[in-house]
Amino acid sequence: MTRAASWAILLLGITYFVLPLLGMVEFSLSMRRGEYSFDAYAAVLADPQFRQTFSYSVVMALLTIVFGILLVVPTAFWVRLKLPRLRPVVEFVTLLPLVIPAIVTVFGYIRLYNTSSWLPLTGTIFGTNLLLMFGYAMLSLPYMYRAVDTGLRTIDVATLTEAAQSLGAGWVTIIVKLILPNVLVAVLSGSFVTFAIVMGEFTMAALLNRPAFGPYLQLMGANKAYEPFALATIAFIITWACMGLIQLVTRFTKHDKAGR
Amino acid sequence: MSFLTISHLEKSFGVTRVVKDFNLDVEKGEFISLLGPSGCGKTTVLRMVAGFESPSAGNITIEGREVSSLKPNQRNIGMVFQAYALFPNLTVAQNVGFGLRVKGVPAREIAARVEEMLALIGLPELGDRYPFQLSGGQQQRVALARALAPKPQVLLLDEPLSALDAKVRVSLRNEIRAIQRELGITTIFVTHDQEEALSMSDRIVVMHQGVAEQVGSPFEIYNAPATRFVAGFVGTLNTLDAQVLDPATGRVKLGENELTLGRAVPPGEATLGLRPEMLRLGAHPGEAALTGTITELDFLGSVIRLRIDLGGQKLAVDLFNTTRQAPPKVGETVSLALNPADALVIGA
Repeated sequence: MTRAASWAILLLGITYFVLPLLGMVEFSLSMRRGEYSFDAYAAVLADPQFRQTFSYSVVMALLTIVFGILLVVPTAFWVRLKLPRLRPVVEFVTLLPLVIPAIVTVFGYIRLYNTSSWLPLTGTIFGTNLLLMFGYAMLSLPYMYRAVDTGLRTIDVATLTEAAQSLGAGWVTIIVKLILPNVLVAVLSGSFVTFAIVMGEFTMAALLNRPAFGPYLQLMGANKAYEPFALATIAFIITWACMGLIQLVTRFTKHDKAGR
Repeated sequence: MSFLTISHLEKSFGVTRVVKDFNLDVEKGEFISLLGPSGCGKTTVLRMVAGFESPSAGNITIEGREVSSLKPNQRNIGMVFQAYALFPNLTVAQNVGFGLRVKGVPAREIAARVEEMLALIGLPELGDRYPFQLSGGQQQRVALARALAPKPQVLLLDEPLSALDAKVRVSLRNEIRAIQRELGITTIFVTHDQEEALSMSDRIVVMHQGVAEQVGSPFEIYNAPATRFVAGFVGTLNTLDAQVLDPATGRVKLGENELTLGRAVPPGEATLGLRPEMLRLGAHPGEAALTGTITELDFLGSVIRLRIDLGGQKLAVDLFNTTRQAPPKVGETVSLALNPADALVIGA
């Protein structure tokens, strides 16, 4: 293939991806007739419902990330260290959220945890929030587990664990001081993906009736013209900022060449 | 009572017994090597001492304290691994001080001990580096310092030199031995390299198929192997089938040659073991003489190794290389001198 053909294909690809985005941004700036303005963004940012739903989803995303790390890092570590034969089974389980629709899961939750059940989580706001966080953690499981497992693959988990044990370290010390720092980039990758999933998730939040950003996006899309595009642009900026942060963390991790 | 006692140790994985009735008494400050081929059970024994494997049977005691049931982090045993196993996210100084931090030693004492350890391994200026910034030899030195920093009762070395190149391996083994002597720490060293075991150890345990075939000093292991396996595994050994002519005097027939060993041997067929360096070219008064034909000649630098056909049996002979004498030629018929006392009669 000639150099010119390669460039042509590259340009075509870039155009394919960038043109719709430019169109979206351009439209989001066209609220005022005859000139570009940030009116749609101002309207969105001035909306108290935006601030409420956005901050709710950010808090939920952070809690989901913490819960996901606490669940996934020790699990992936233990499976690699002690139960390598169970790895395919665990991988299969973590992939299930990709094939089971969120609506099925959330109806399952509502049936299992409704007010007349043995664990009536939906009876309180705190319980429903907790349920939603578990749901988010489940949705992000395929990405979080894969990221952490890939990170663990780059270090000799068994030998590092034995070395730490021979120096007197217990399991908590090993996971917190040795394993987690060595898979930090992987954990952050999984965390940013989790963040993006939670910020845009609609089904679970809507059916559990929680004031999240996803349902707000849907509401705006159904009732306004320019504001949804401003919101979509904001969502893209957040996602790209997360990607940029992953790159930054990767670059500034001093020991990233070690332990291979 | 010995400092470290291993009694009737057994280990099975499923139906496979990988360690069988292993017994060993180690004195304080002794350097013991477990030597054997891959899969002989030497690393499994070491891992049971460290606590990473649970024995199927038997006991391990250190200073009279039974440790078999203790977790690895409760045994106060230092270990150095083949793959270095330095913590990639910690600097050299943090790696060395890790065990002390886990124990809750005050920061000032940790700093002093780390400094002392880095000086001991000859890397005082590398405390701020990360493991990936070090060579293999430097990483293994740091791993040694890390294992020694918490002052363990026993040091375990699991093939620590295997991943290093030949020159570094030789210099580091001398350093390890010097540090071990200086600290007087009881050490168990696992290796499949007989040269390492012979050069470093106070005593060697030769292992084969999960069994300790012989325990002895390097001199005993090399010169008086107890079994055919030990004789064949440690050093190069010519094994020759001989017919016993006179069991009382040890007169045997080797091909067309006859040899009197001067000691009693069992009647019938015997297997003789001859080290290549025990044989010399030419006739020497008072020594037995054998005649054979040179079939191969390998120039190995300081040594010239000849392959000699001795009436159908092959024999390796090592000669020192000297500029004063030209090496013999392939096809030449030569006579070989041997002190009969050097010939080993190999048992089962």
